[in-house]
Amino acid sequence: MARMKFYCDAERCIECNACVTACKNENEVPWGVNRRRVVTIKDGEPGERSLSVACMHCSDAPCAAVCPVDCFYTTDNGVVLHDKNICIGCGYCFYACPFGAPQFPMDGAFASRGKMDKCTFCAGGPEEDNSSAEFIKYGRNRLAEGKLPLCAEMCATKALLAGDADMVSDIYRKRIINRGASVLNWGVSYNNAKLRS
Amino acid sequence: MIKPIFRIKIEQLVRPVFLILLLFVILLQNSHAIDTPQQQGISIKNPGSDLWREVRQRDTAIQGTTQIKSVDSNVLINPQADRWTRFRVDKLINIGFIVLGSVIGVILVFFLLRGRVKIEGGLSGNMVFRFHDFERVLHWVLALVFLFLALTGFTLLFGRTLFIPILGHDIFSLLASSSKEGHNLFGPIFMVSLLMMFISFVKRNIYEKGDLTWLLRGGGMIGKSHVTGGFFNMGEKSWYWLVILIGFAISATGLILLFPSFGQGRIIMELSHVIHVFGAIILITVSFGHMYLGTLGTEGTGESMKTGYVDIKWAEAHHDRWAKHCHDNNLVITADEYARLQGKGKVGYEPVSTTAGESGK
Repeated sequence: MARMKFYCDAERCIECNACVTACKNENEVPWGVNRRRVVTIKDGEPGERSLSVACMHCSDAPCAAVCPVDCFYTTDNGVVLHDKNICIGCGYCFYACPFGAPQFPMDGAFASRGKMDKCTFCAGGPEEDNSSAEFIKYGRNRLAEGKLPLCAEMCATKALLAGDADMVSDIYRKRIINRGASVLNWGVSYNNAKLRS
Repeated sequence: MIKPIFRIKIEQLVRPVFLILLLFVILLQNSHAIDTPQQQGISIKNPGSDLWREVRQRDTAIQGTTQIKSVDSNVLINPQADRWTRFRVDKLINIGFIVLGSVIGVILVFFLLRGRVKIEGGLSGNMVFRFHDFERVLHWVLALVFLFLALTGFTLLFGRTLFIPILGHDIFSLLASSSKEGHNLFGPIFMVSLLMMFISFVKRNIYEKGDLTWLLRGGGMIGKSHVTGGFFNMGEKSWYWLVILIGFAISATGLILLFPSFGQGRIIMELSHVIHVFGAIILITVSFGHMYLGTLGTEGTGESMKTGYVDIKWAEAHHDRWAKHCHDNNLVITADEYARLQGKGKVGYEPVSTTAGESGK
């Protein structure tokens, strides 16, 4: 079985936010909720880097550990999903997640928390694959269609990688070797193209 | 003729010169390595490593910029998240359960050893007025709301361990969801009744002269004779202040957790949760003692919150200074009069004096 992973190559990410938009559109995410975001460190300074962040689908997910109703589960592909029928919108996963992945749509009086929404690795939820019930709650189930998450699929610079951990790390390793070959040009991805195989 | 000789000479020279050069280079490199080891090899580091070092630093949350406009969305990694997770999963659930369980155990053992504290010489039947209707209703509203909040909080904290194996995920989700909504709904009612409790009881709960003696003698557990007390004794006053102070802390942190839309970040909420749950466990633990003393623990105490009247013998035993005040002001009524006031006579329910509960001084 595959072990699904995201990897964002900070040397390549250009903070275009296409992954954010793609995710929102593909999954028809509720208003005010962003499953993915791009954070830029040292914006406007030397060494500026951007990273696209969403649910990291942790092996030992803290959200799952603290959930009072135990609504999280990990699929055979290593994707961390949750059951919105069980979620009570308490917000504990939001406190527990280091990456700020869980999102809460405003719901009911006094803008209290609705049921939690987060990146599903485009793998839907516990409902039947590609059913309308699944789409309304969790968005597209691209994994069931044999596709990878749209954010990574349409990343223009291929900074955001998604897929089986082995393949993602193979791709990244090749990049590292190429960059390492041009040691004096660390951090430059597009020069010295002749050094690439 | 000259050429071959010249060629031989060069071939002879090349080897030693090359070896000397090589030795020199190696020595030079080694001396460099000893002096400045960081210059050995490739000294240009990956600029990405700075980024990751910054991102992975544990003490502070790294702030960046982002186009996503929401609270904390510019924080890449929240280092407190893992600490909070470990607190809740490893410590809170286990230790909280042990604390609550052992307090019940301690009270049970205490009851078995000491039994019900009886009034010396028995109850007289002559009563004295202690709590107004308003005060009693307020007490019970606060008590019931407190119990409800404690039970719903208990469900959310321990339900996953205790109830999911019995009820299953779907049914427990309903229970937890209603617990959460109920907790959120009754929280503000708790705050209002707590504020009213503070206002209506504060005057009689200010510590006074005899209270230190009470504390030193463990509320009468050390020594044989009863300890001195005013309208409220030292223990009751301390319980009052515990409820008020921790109650306000729980209310304030509860509000922070209840309304996530005021821009407070995760770290503030995590801290609030810790304070909220610590306060709650302390209050629930001490409330067990309060409930025990009000019902099983001592004879005659429960009457004060049931009818508003207490036996004068009970007052003499636990609140001697207040009892003296009642005697001095002729506030004690006979058993017959009391029965009549309780609706067993012909005159309707009307307390003899409404100033009786004012002060024990």
